[in-house]
Amino acid sequence: MASSANSNPVPKLYRSVIEDVINEVRELFLDEGVDEQVLMELKTLWENKLMQSKAVEGFHTEEQAALQAAAQQQAQQSQQVTQQTQSQQVLLPQQQQVTNWQSTRPNVTSAPQQQVIVQDPKILQHMSATGMSAAATAATLALPTGVSPYQQLITSQGNVSQNVYLKTADGQILQVVRAANGAQYIIQPQQQMVLQQQVLPQMQPGGVQAPVIQQVRPITQVLTPLQGGLPQQTGVIIQPQQIVLTGNKVQQNTQVMQMAGQAGQMQQVQQVQQVQQAQGGAAPGAPQQQQAQQMTQPQPPMMLQVDGAGDTSSDEDEEEEEEEYDEDEDEDKDKDGGEDGQVEEEPLNSEDDVSDEEDQELFDTENVVVCQYDKIHRSKNKWKFHLKDGIMNLNGRDYVFSKAVGDAEW
Amino acid sequence: MAYQLYRNTTLGNSLQESLDELIQTQQITPQLALQVLLQFDKAINTALANRVRNRVNFKGSLNTYRFCDNVWTFVLNDVEFREVTDLVKVDKVKIVACDGKRASYTCVMILLFDQLLDTPHL
Repeated sequence: MASSANSNPVPKLYRSVIEDVINEVRELFLDEGVDEQVLMELKTLWENKLMQSKAVEGFHTEEQAALQAAAQQQAQQSQQVTQQTQSQQVLLPQQQQVTNWQSTRPNVTSAPQQQVIVQDPKILQHMSATGMSAAATAATLALPTGVSPYQQLITSQGNVSQNVYLKTADGQILQVVRAANGAQYIIQPQQQMVLQQQVLPQMQPGGVQAPVIQQVRPITQVLTPLQGGLPQQTGVIIQPQQIVLTGNKVQQNTQVMQMAGQAGQMQQVQQVQQVQQAQGGAAPGAPQQQQAQQMTQPQPPMMLQVDGAGDTSSDEDEEEEEEEYDEDEDEDKDKDGGEDGQVEEEPLNSEDDVSDEEDQELFDTENVVVCQYDKIHRSKNKWKFHLKDGIMNLNGRDYVFSKAVGDAEW
Repeated sequence: MAYQLYRNTTLGNSLQESLDELIQTQQITPQLALQVLLQFDKAINTALANRVRNRVNFKGSLNTYRFCDNVWTFVLNDVEFREVTDLVKVDKVKIVACDGKRASYTCVMILLFDQLLDTPHL
């Protein structure tokens, strides 16, 4: 692109800032005994992210842009993680954003992830457009070789929930979590996770199959030991035939999936779940979920429903249900009552927060201006702003100003 | 101490993310990363003050305003930003402004806490 005399001052400014910072910290790096190589890597990472964000126009010359395009093609072909020692060719996306793995998993991770996503969603779109996959994510996460990331984009309505799951060569699934400060951490689940994940697809269409119930029967015997850890449940006797496995909602199932970990105790967990569902009690803790998950492993797909909002106690094993319908009825009612109570609670609590802004955020980026004020003036409801030294991000693009004057009516 | 105001910009965020990556791979220490960010603060403040010379006008309707700890936060709707060269319209914009007269200590601390707690000044 031809740059005219009135060209955007932003790229130059950014470049100069980058140069200044890098030069100033060179000494710091040396004092710490950090290699110059790392400094160059920092610079490269920084520049790449800026380019990827597309917030800056004309950040690179056309030539470099062409190099980048070529490098991207190479990246797509190779599934290897490229080291970041090379300069321009390492334009293999240093992806800021977490990519989605299309799966039935809910976004179990905490809120900060989503927030991060919202800020730079354009990057997602960018990624999808260019199709940068394996090498990109791998490069960003600096994973060891042999890991081939697998990404797809989840486009849900507005919510961009993202989990990155990387599948290692031996099939193990690593979950990448992006913390609030932008760092990415890899959660290595235990190996049992793999099994469960394989089980998952089978789970979705149906629900619990008949054989599952049979496994449950012995559980009642285990009831007694649980009483110590589970107050209020001592008096409940659940016969295996009464055990109702709630509806096979994928989301909750996957929650259970992901919590799994520890061996044994699965019988107890299932029992606990039944009891809790009977009382419509609070959601069971993680260990119970884990144990429930354990339960499913040795069997053909069975998913124990850990209660959550909106559960219906629909029975996964219809055959059993039909036979024992009368006995189950009472339990069902109890469950429904309890769960409804829970459902009502959540919306009530969530209304406490006034978060209009989030709802109105149709744009991918939140338009932000960061600056200093010289003078803020108000007359009745007429406001005047005198601002200076600002950086603006509007509609995804960056602008700067030395002075800004504005009017607004409140 | 220069304002840390500009860390939550494209430039600042990309720097922070890059630093985080290097920390993850243990190529640098968090201490060093902090030093880099402090240096960034100085550099960006200086650059904006000295190297930028343009003026922008804007107008819109004020949705909310807040003045706390010497930091103004505004949310405007239906705003037009006008520069000599072009015009940018947005439905909603948030303006965060620190005191321009001097880098007030309070402002800086507020922003520091914001980063720690993910609270809404920025």
